[in-house]
Amino acid sequence: MAKVTIKVNGKNQTRNVEDRTLLADFLRDELGLTGTHVGCDTSQCGCCTVHVNGRAVKSCSMLAVQANGAQVLTIEGLAKNGKLHPVQRAFSECHGLQCGFCTPGMIMATVGLLKDKPNPSEDDIIHGLEGNLCRCTGYINIVKAVKMGAKLMRGKGKRR
Amino acid sequence: MRVEDPRLVTGAGRFAADWNLPGQLHAHFVRSDRAHAEIVSLETGAARKHPGVRAIFTGADAVRAGYTKPMHTLAFPGKGGMQTRAPERPALAHGKVRFVGEALAMVVADTAAAAQDAAELIEVQYRELAPVIAPEQALASGAPQLHESVPGNLSLEAEAGDAAAVEAAFARAAHVTRLKVEVTRVAPNPMEPRACLVAHEPQDDSYTFHVCMQGVTTLRRQMSVYTGVAEDRMRFVAHDVGGGFGQRTPAYPEYCALMLAAKDTGRPVKWVSTRSEGIACDTHGRANIIDGALALDRDGRFLGMRLDWVNDMGSYLSPASQGHVRNTSTCMTGVYRIPALYASYRVALTNTNPVSAYRGAGRPDVAYAIERLVSRAAAELGIDTAELRRRNFIPPEAFPYKTPTGSTYEYADLPGVLEKALKLADWRGYPKRRARSEKTGKLRGIGIATVIENTGAGQAAKDEVELELDARGHVTVHTVSKSQGHGHETTLAMIVADALGIPRERVAVRQCGEDRQHRLQGNHTGGSRSTVGAGSVCHIAARKLIEHCRGLAALELGVEPSQVDYAKGAFRSRESKRAVKLGELAGTGPVSVVGEGKFGSTFPNGCHIAEVEIDPGTGAAQIASYCAVDDIGTVINHAIVEGQLHGGVVMGAGQIFGEHVVYDLESGQLMTGSFMDYCMPRAGMVRAIRGAEHPTPSKVSPLGVKGVGESGCTGSLPALANAVADALRPLGVAHLDMPLTPAKIWHAVRDARKGGN
Repeated sequence: MAKVTIKVNGKNQTRNVEDRTLLADFLRDELGLTGTHVGCDTSQCGCCTVHVNGRAVKSCSMLAVQANGAQVLTIEGLAKNGKLHPVQRAFSECHGLQCGFCTPGMIMATVGLLKDKPNPSEDDIIHGLEGNLCRCTGYINIVKAVKMGAKLMRGKGKRR
Repeated sequence: MRVEDPRLVTGAGRFAADWNLPGQLHAHFVRSDRAHAEIVSLETGAARKHPGVRAIFTGADAVRAGYTKPMHTLAFPGKGGMQTRAPERPALAHGKVRFVGEALAMVVADTAAAAQDAAELIEVQYRELAPVIAPEQALASGAPQLHESVPGNLSLEAEAGDAAAVEAAFARAAHVTRLKVEVTRVAPNPMEPRACLVAHEPQDDSYTFHVCMQGVTTLRRQMSVYTGVAEDRMRFVAHDVGGGFGQRTPAYPEYCALMLAAKDTGRPVKWVSTRSEGIACDTHGRANIIDGALALDRDGRFLGMRLDWVNDMGSYLSPASQGHVRNTSTCMTGVYRIPALYASYRVALTNTNPVSAYRGAGRPDVAYAIERLVSRAAAELGIDTAELRRRNFIPPEAFPYKTPTGSTYEYADLPGVLEKALKLADWRGYPKRRARSEKTGKLRGIGIATVIENTGAGQAAKDEVELELDARGHVTVHTVSKSQGHGHETTLAMIVADALGIPRERVAVRQCGEDRQHRLQGNHTGGSRSTVGAGSVCHIAARKLIEHCRGLAALELGVEPSQVDYAKGAFRSRESKRAVKLGELAGTGPVSVVGEGKFGSTFPNGCHIAEVEIDPGTGAAQIASYCAVDDIGTVINHAIVEGQLHGGVVMGAGQIFGEHVVYDLESGQLMTGSFMDYCMPRAGMVRAIRGAEHPTPSKVSPLGVKGVGESGCTGSLPALANAVADALRPLGVAHLDMPLTPAKIWHAVRDARKGGN
């Protein structure tokens, strides 16, 4: 067992966990943050994507103890004061989700992608989402949503 | 924005694995690593002593409980009156294992990790038996036998159509095109892994399931047949369901085993599948081998068609096993007037995971066989592939059209659909595009598919929807259908809001609610039927609510009901001009009506045209363009419908270009047991779909709707394969079966060029 303190969505969380506990399971089982989904066991699907110290990470490929002292942002912490993040809005407006299971990971991966490439080309988007699987949408509307999210975020940046 | 979206984009959705109950235990299954073996011994002593372990269950427990006879639906007479031979399947394998991944023991412990640790301490001794993996080999004489009760591994032999008529048609044919195709075994892989949490209530000996499902009625019935537990002693809870595609329909043995554990331990027991478990033991799809022949006269008119099927059902019959026989004979004539049809079916059992419904459940398979045959015939005869189709379409004036296999197509404007698609795809401009690709060293091909499918009819006696009006003037819609991503909360609310003339925000949809699931009848969501069934009944129920409330309003207004007009949520007396709002009529309590309806099949149809560009140096095929024109009747929500088509088209593209469940033919080991090896479609596989609607409203439904959920893959499987075949035909490549991987295409190109030299 190990004691870990992880700042999740702005709040310090201290727990005793088994050494083998994955960050994904820590978030879901210890903190009840079930918006982070687990869709595979080989780190292919990306449903569990969260941000660790500002970078998009598949939380199934990291132990909770490795995140000790880190800042973690999950899908639950993305909307601020009830206002959807532009990428969340874009996924909904472009119908970039159907069942919604891959969606939290898709959105967290997209927010991460747009940090690196605020104005991504279609190829950038396709490459950037290579590690995220969706079975419902056929991805066409997801790619649209990423473009729209990028546009909304750039617009927001200008106003500031 | 869909009603569902706000919770799903914020992580507030509630999927099966998100549920927890106080005091719950966790289950882990021990699965067979052999394809075919006798269980000589099962040593559980060390596992029982492992910290945290509460109980271990094996096949003996399943047999003792009588959980051995899953429901199957091949319940119609086969050839010569043959009855289906349905093997038993204890919820945990007993005595013998028959596929890699079959559960044979279940450990229940305080934590999931403890259960898994203990499961690894269980020692199983096997006596290996020779497995048989390929269905045609399973049917050959001398093949290893899976079940004593299924001699020759032949579960059912069935037929459709008129063999003699087909023989006569072939005898007078000017040309016969033959093609044997395999529609490969694939894994549905909805993104949410299966999960189930079962609680037992000793007071009334009832069970509550938190499980991912496609609707309560079908699953409940199947669970009841499997376990002998009465339907009224089972409750099902599901909020969000992460995809389905047919895979969530069956009653799985794991759920039955969890019932044993919950009753025995007196605690709720939860199981969450891993993806690897899912690929091994969630029902697979397709797995059909179809040997086809099409007879044509001198003018290229179809005279007859024969399809000989071998349907691989895996090691046991899944509860949705009928689709591969029934749906494929219903639509056997495709979109063509073919005077003589005959199909034979041999339903085979193999040492593989059971096969069940998967997006289309046979409809894409038969469309694939027909459309490959037709395009090949066109190539052989030197007729334009669109022209050969045009020449053989069932003409609009021939509808309703009774097919030679006994179904009746309602209506289709096939020439209209085709011409619109040809224009959208710039069919005439194709030679130029091909020449342009050739200049860059690429092979280009164009493929077309014109398809039709039966959708909408369900097995329930009727579909019922209850509408409940409250004092705020809000309406709650209760249905036993269940979205797995389809957006019922949006579409059904739109239908009711439209009929009542009130804002959509005042209508809420509750699916399979615990307080309604035993009261309302209806079909689960599958077979593209929910808008046709539940959706139509939403409309009927809304009309009924208006009529019911008209009487109440008349009393309120002191006039005859005939003197009261309804519009936009309010009744108005024609004489006094007084009005009463819907909500006011529910002031003393909710007003409730139940609407009902029974609907036959609707026949969505369409034309898909794909172009592919192949790099002969790598064998990689890129989808250069994709056009789809679909007649899916009246459209309620265009974005949702387009989303269904996108998803279906890409699912078909996944199967054509990469997806394939592969078992080693000798050992029966699963070779594609995780997302590392099972090739899922990724972003960019289909960059864009140019789509157009060509609606002809269905009269089956008062809304004019037709099913749409499965149309995408029914069209894309043949359109894409035909495009690749077209690209490779000039090289002399006769035929390739899916998946058309870069390696397969590269080898075909290389072999063809060698042969050419």
